[in-house]
Amino acid sequence: MELVLSRNFHLPRPPALAEYRAGGGYEALTIALGQDPEAMIEMVDKTGLRGYGGAGFPLARKWRARGANAPHPRYLVMNVDETEPGSFKDRQLLYRDPHQVVEAVLVTGFIEQADHAYVFVRGEYAEGARRLEQAVAEAREAGLVGRNILGAGFDLDIDVHLSAGRYICGEETALLNALEGRRGNPRAKPPMPFEKGLWGAPTLVHNIETLCHVPHIVSRGPDWFNGQGVNGGHGTKLFSVCGEVQRPGFWELPMGTTARELIYEHAGGPLDGQDLVAFLPGGASTAFLLPEHLDTPMQFDAVASTGSRFGTCGIIALGSATCPLDFLIGINKFFVRESCGFCTPCRDGLPYLHSLMERIEAGQGKPGDRELMLELCAKIAPNSFCAFAPGAIMPLESGLKVFADVIQEHIEHGACPYRGAH
Amino acid sequence: MLTDHERSHLQEHIARYPEKRAGAIYTLQFLQQKYRYLPDEALAEASELCGLSATQLDELATFYTLLLRRPAGRTVVRICDSIACHLAGAPALLAEAERLTGVPLGGVSEDGSITVMPHVCLGLCDQAPAALAGERALGGLDQSSLGELLASLQTEAEG
Repeated sequence: MELVLSRNFHLPRPPALAEYRAGGGYEALTIALGQDPEAMIEMVDKTGLRGYGGAGFPLARKWRARGANAPHPRYLVMNVDETEPGSFKDRQLLYRDPHQVVEAVLVTGFIEQADHAYVFVRGEYAEGARRLEQAVAEAREAGLVGRNILGAGFDLDIDVHLSAGRYICGEETALLNALEGRRGNPRAKPPMPFEKGLWGAPTLVHNIETLCHVPHIVSRGPDWFNGQGVNGGHGTKLFSVCGEVQRPGFWELPMGTTARELIYEHAGGPLDGQDLVAFLPGGASTAFLLPEHLDTPMQFDAVASTGSRFGTCGIIALGSATCPLDFLIGINKFFVRESCGFCTPCRDGLPYLHSLMERIEAGQGKPGDRELMLELCAKIAPNSFCAFAPGAIMPLESGLKVFADVIQEHIEHGACPYRGAH
Repeated sequence: MLTDHERSHLQEHIARYPEKRAGAIYTLQFLQQKYRYLPDEALAEASELCGLSATQLDELATFYTLLLRRPAGRTVVRICDSIACHLAGAPALLAEAERLTGVPLGGVSEDGSITVMPHVCLGLCDQAPAALAGERALGGLDQSSLGELLASLQTEAEG
């Protein structure tokens, strides 16, 4: 299979401008600048390309929602706030091929006829942000960023904004607040960001991986892109597997590759002497899948049909030596800390769930605790302000069901059955 | 106190945004780099530059986890404790860090060299357990490599 997004990842250092161009870099920009934006939207529509930041919204539909007649100024924001536990693909794109990121912003900016672009990078990726800034500066020097790009009469400047932490800032409306110098609490929708985003102007926010596909689609066409997928998927995808496997890692593979191939072939299968008990298919905020789901093609619709979510497709594997309740505690710890505190169900509900799980894990659970937690899950998710709490609840609610027996055992025996077992 | 050069650098950065307050995060990051944390004096300096009150800046400083309102060591070591690192032994590493520094997580070691704290997923799940030492990413940590890291940071501070 041809590597597309990761074609430069084998290099010892991220390619500088000359090296990137020698490999065909910025040719897509030249092609794009000579085309009608509407024709390129049509091309991307034919690929069905969806957002790879977790929500999976179709890119072409987002463009059409804003429309060609939106008022100016218009903003383009690339979201590099990757903080989903189990997801580390965006980091690779940022650190290993920053010029690809710049080209993606430029081509997308032209399609959107944007006036200014911001790349929002999580604070923990400061080194990556510096590499990107350097690439932007190099590109600006070469007439690829700024005024009258490549003499085509199109202007676009790119600012790299280094954030200061917090998972919630990856939520697009929280990101806009963060970029404006406010607390990263989500905003009410509507208005949608494409109507009123940054400083009240039309703004489109996209994940980095999604946009990195756009120049390749523009230069090689939707048929080429669609031919790269398998099992109903289109294009390639940066997949990753982490947790209790032999070789955690990331690989660019056809969209639709099965979970079995990812976990057993690429990640080497479970740790020695263990079996695979379950896995989260799309990062921490997705529902558990079981070994019976291993042949599910990893693409949006197939994963959704199992009742879980494709998310960022960062698979997290749970092996048989680990207490599933401890795994749930490990997942929930993250969401408890990262709740922005704006709404009560999320701010107070998630810590309450946490205390119940810790009590059970410590052998002090009471009959009815699991049912109480399920009731809390059912109340927290639909009554919270944004998608954060539903994301936090998804693995918990599914875990409380899938691992009901193990939790019951904790409560009945007043101890964790895994403790002392290994 | 900010030098004239530093102040004009910040003013230039802030002017890039349509509104001054959008430069607040950068300004606070810059001041933290200078003072290692954000004392009240730093908020006062930022207030003048960003057109926000000290309270508005405090709202930001207390929201964003990489901004620190309390003194920190010369190097802040953030050990990831999200799921992949949790499974790979982060809780034991955090306990070991407390033992080695002799202060609770978030505290400053007696010689002022180190602050260790738990942190959310660093995007290094394939290298779990992982940490950031300052801005440097470190993977595949164990008790002994953590000990070596902390010792080297202490030596650096002495030198």
